[in-house]
Amino acid sequence: MKLRDRHRSAAEIPTSSMADIAFLLIIFFMLTAVFATTEGLRFDLPKDDPTQLDVQPEEAIHIKILGEGQYVVDKTPMTLEEMGGYVRMKMQQNPDKPVIIQTEGNVLYFVMIDVFDLLKYLQVENISIPTRTEIERWKAFGIFE
Amino acid sequence: MNPHRVRRIVPVIPTASMADIAFLLIIFFMLTTTFSPEKTTVELPQSEIRTEVPKDAAIIAITEEGIIRFTDGERPSFALGTAAELGPLTREVVRWLPDKEFVIKADRMVRYELIDAVLEQLRLNGAKRVGLLTERKTGGGV
Repeated sequence: MKLRDRHRSAAEIPTSSMADIAFLLIIFFMLTAVFATTEGLRFDLPKDDPTQLDVQPEEAIHIKILGEGQYVVDKTPMTLEEMGGYVRMKMQQNPDKPVIIQTEGNVLYFVMIDVFDLLKYLQVENISIPTRTEIERWKAFGIFE
Repeated sequence: MNPHRVRRIVPVIPTASMADIAFLLIIFFMLTTTFSPEKTTVELPQSEIRTEVPKDAAIIAITEEGIIRFTDGERPSFALGTAAELGPLTREVVRWLPDKEFVIKADRMVRYELIDAVLEQLRLNGAKRVGLLTERKTGGGV
């Protein structure tokens, strides 16, 4: 008796859904990923030496930040644009001129960053950000208001 | 005449290699991902000028609510009660790694007095270099 040829199908593992699973995983990782910021504005902190002043305040440009859009530069109220022009002019005369940023406590952080960014943009190398106690010390030296 | 029957092949898009490609992508993303010990979400201030800060820097995060978190760059960050608590932690880090950079990751709406208090602690305890994390400024120049 002749038996009919049985149609044999090759054994295989179904992998068609593997791509779906893998792409789902990729989408999951991409949506849950938080991109870390690793860039910003850098500066050096002065050493804590009460007998020494790193910056001679009388030679420096003194920027006082009172609030957003309220800046006093060398005792003259200015806007951010005017400050940029003033600092640029002073830097042309003396590129090593130090700049002191004094920020009032109630001012928002981004306002101070705007000024710091402007100075970096103008390629000011010598930027000093004194803390409250340093300012007090400078006042004690009688060279800072 | 009886012509030979043409055997039709069903058109198929070959998708067998899709899984390989997708898994390769997953492996690539997993290998290039770096895990940060500081995951606090803050809205950073924006600046035009930005320079790269070291990846292993100690991070001080300050949220809009004024919560300060600290990590030495290796262990996960933890919350501090006041800025003054930063002093001994800074001293400890500087004792072992004197050139360690400290990075301040503060919300743009934080009052400056808090930043000042943090800078004060860093300065008093021997930190030399500080970075202020910023986002890239979008729209308009300085």
